[in-house]
Amino acid sequence: MSGTDGLALATHGLRKNYGSRRALDGLDLAVPTGVVYGFLGPNGAGKTTTMRVLTGLIRADEGTVEMLGRPFRRGDRRRLFEVGALIESPTFYPYLSARANLRELASSGAPVPAKRIEELLDLVGLCDRANDQVQGYSMGMRQRLGIAAALLSDPKLLLLDEPANGLDPAGIVAMRDTLKTLAGQGKTVVVSSHLLAEIQVMADVVGIIAAGKLVREGQLKDLLAAEGVVKVRVEPGQVDAAVQALAPLARAERLEETDREEGWLAVHVPGDRTGEVSRMLATAGIYVLGLESGADLEMLFLELTSGHSSGGSEGNFVGLGPTNGTTGKGTVA
Amino acid sequence: MRLFFSGLRKLSRRPATWVTFGLLIGLVVLITVVVGVASNSGAGAGSGPNAGARIQAMKNFVTFPQAYDRMLDFMLRFGGLLALLYGASIAGSEWGWGTFKSAVARGESRIGYMLSSFASVGLVVAIGLLVGYVIAVVAAFVGANLAGVSTSGLSDSATLGQLPLSLLRVWISVLEEAALGFTIATLARSQLAGIGVGIAFYFGESFAGLLLPDYVQYMPFAAANAAANINVSSGALGNGTSAALPADQALVMVAVWLVGALVVTALFSNRAEIAG
Repeated sequence: MSGTDGLALATHGLRKNYGSRRALDGLDLAVPTGVVYGFLGPNGAGKTTTMRVLTGLIRADEGTVEMLGRPFRRGDRRRLFEVGALIESPTFYPYLSARANLRELASSGAPVPAKRIEELLDLVGLCDRANDQVQGYSMGMRQRLGIAAALLSDPKLLLLDEPANGLDPAGIVAMRDTLKTLAGQGKTVVVSSHLLAEIQVMADVVGIIAAGKLVREGQLKDLLAAEGVVKVRVEPGQVDAAVQALAPLARAERLEETDREEGWLAVHVPGDRTGEVSRMLATAGIYVLGLESGADLEMLFLELTSGHSSGGSEGNFVGLGPTNGTTGKGTVA
Repeated sequence: MRLFFSGLRKLSRRPATWVTFGLLIGLVVLITVVVGVASNSGAGAGSGPNAGARIQAMKNFVTFPQAYDRMLDFMLRFGGLLALLYGASIAGSEWGWGTFKSAVARGESRIGYMLSSFASVGLVVAIGLLVGYVIAVVAAFVGANLAGVSTSGLSDSATLGQLPLSLLRVWISVLEEAALGFTIATLARSQLAGIGVGIAFYFGESFAGLLLPDYVQYMPFAAANAAANINVSSGALGNGTSAALPADQALVMVAVWLVGALVVTALFSNRAEIAG
């Protein structure tokens, strides 16, 4: 038994430099077979670089990749016959129709049955416009066509970089259902996205990277359970008293004032301890105005990646604080 | 082979193919008809002692059998320049549009993809030259009638017998120029850069030929013109080198440039980091 049995994709110590900039810094990923894997990270964290390495577009300076149970090395291009990919924006011949683009793309790589093209056009809802030139397509239509192109070879492993870009809500739901169905059929889907809520709904496993390194990976439900939070709202004047009352429950650094003016606190405990939080505040004579339990991926993501954003990240806009009130302010010592 | 046929399908639907072909035949038809009309009416010949000579030169342009070689020369020179731009356009767009990236990500051989693309270009260039030449000959025939010169030389058996070999040599020469454009755009990873650098190279070599003819005769465009072995005086688009290699030696140089360009394309495509 090797350490990568049961994995559709594994990387070991991937390193990649662009000049003096390090894009990947010893990245280790382990993607189980038959799951939707959410691949997350701030802008510049190395997601697209990883995707490029995995599709043979660029070569890692160091490290190894195992794909579908076997090593994927330089020259192993035929291994990509079992892989479908949408890297960055979808690319097509603008003067050809959607149908013709898929047909010509099918002339490269693994052989594709002719009927597969019609099935995919139907799947992504482009049958009605299949004979129109792609240059007249909207961004969302191009994205749909890109997803169809990625599925062309009926791949065992699907690598999708921001697949929801430009899709309308119905398109996003349809894509989500399609990807979950594919995973249900035993295929493995790796999705890189900034839509954390979408990943939270769709993914079984997530890997979060920052500055080219993996900072957290695991079953989404386990990660969220471990990062559980109970948000409680009290009278603003009772915030200090509430902090004191809850101190025994949470480690000190895991209790945050998220909005003192509104009286919101966040206690980092599993969601199933919500009642305990309420009881402790009641015992201290503090009236609870609002109570929310659970954790979300956004909170986990921001917590794990704060301070790792590279240039161009949304998190670095000058003059704007963090987008989520649960991090970066009011941590109670 | 499926890549090759895919390349042909893509090229046949590509506007650049038809625009290039339209430019080629549009210009040759325009020139021959204008020459025919002008030589008959005397318009454009001016006045003075040389007017008659100018009119006779225009009539010679559309007089058969020499018109066969003149049209072939036009295909070589103007067609060669267009082939350079066309090759650059095809290769550059594969990088610029990201379609090469898509093929590589599907596990396609980088070298196989690029060389198949070029093979498709080669066949399209051959078809374009052949059809363009037939149209040019018809245009010259029309021009001859407009000029009022005899077309009895149209069936000159000696010239007609040489035509297949001449066309083959012109195709190889033009193919070499297309390969240069293809390679330049591959190295630049861009249509526009490929076309721009290709044009600069073409005219740069032409000007350099005035200063360093002994060296420039080995350069790709001068060698291509010499290899075609067309027996006409240098035209307006001539590369203007006073020295020219013997035709067969030039053909060897053309082959060297052609193969060299494709080897560079293959090596670069195989090693390139494809980002963006």
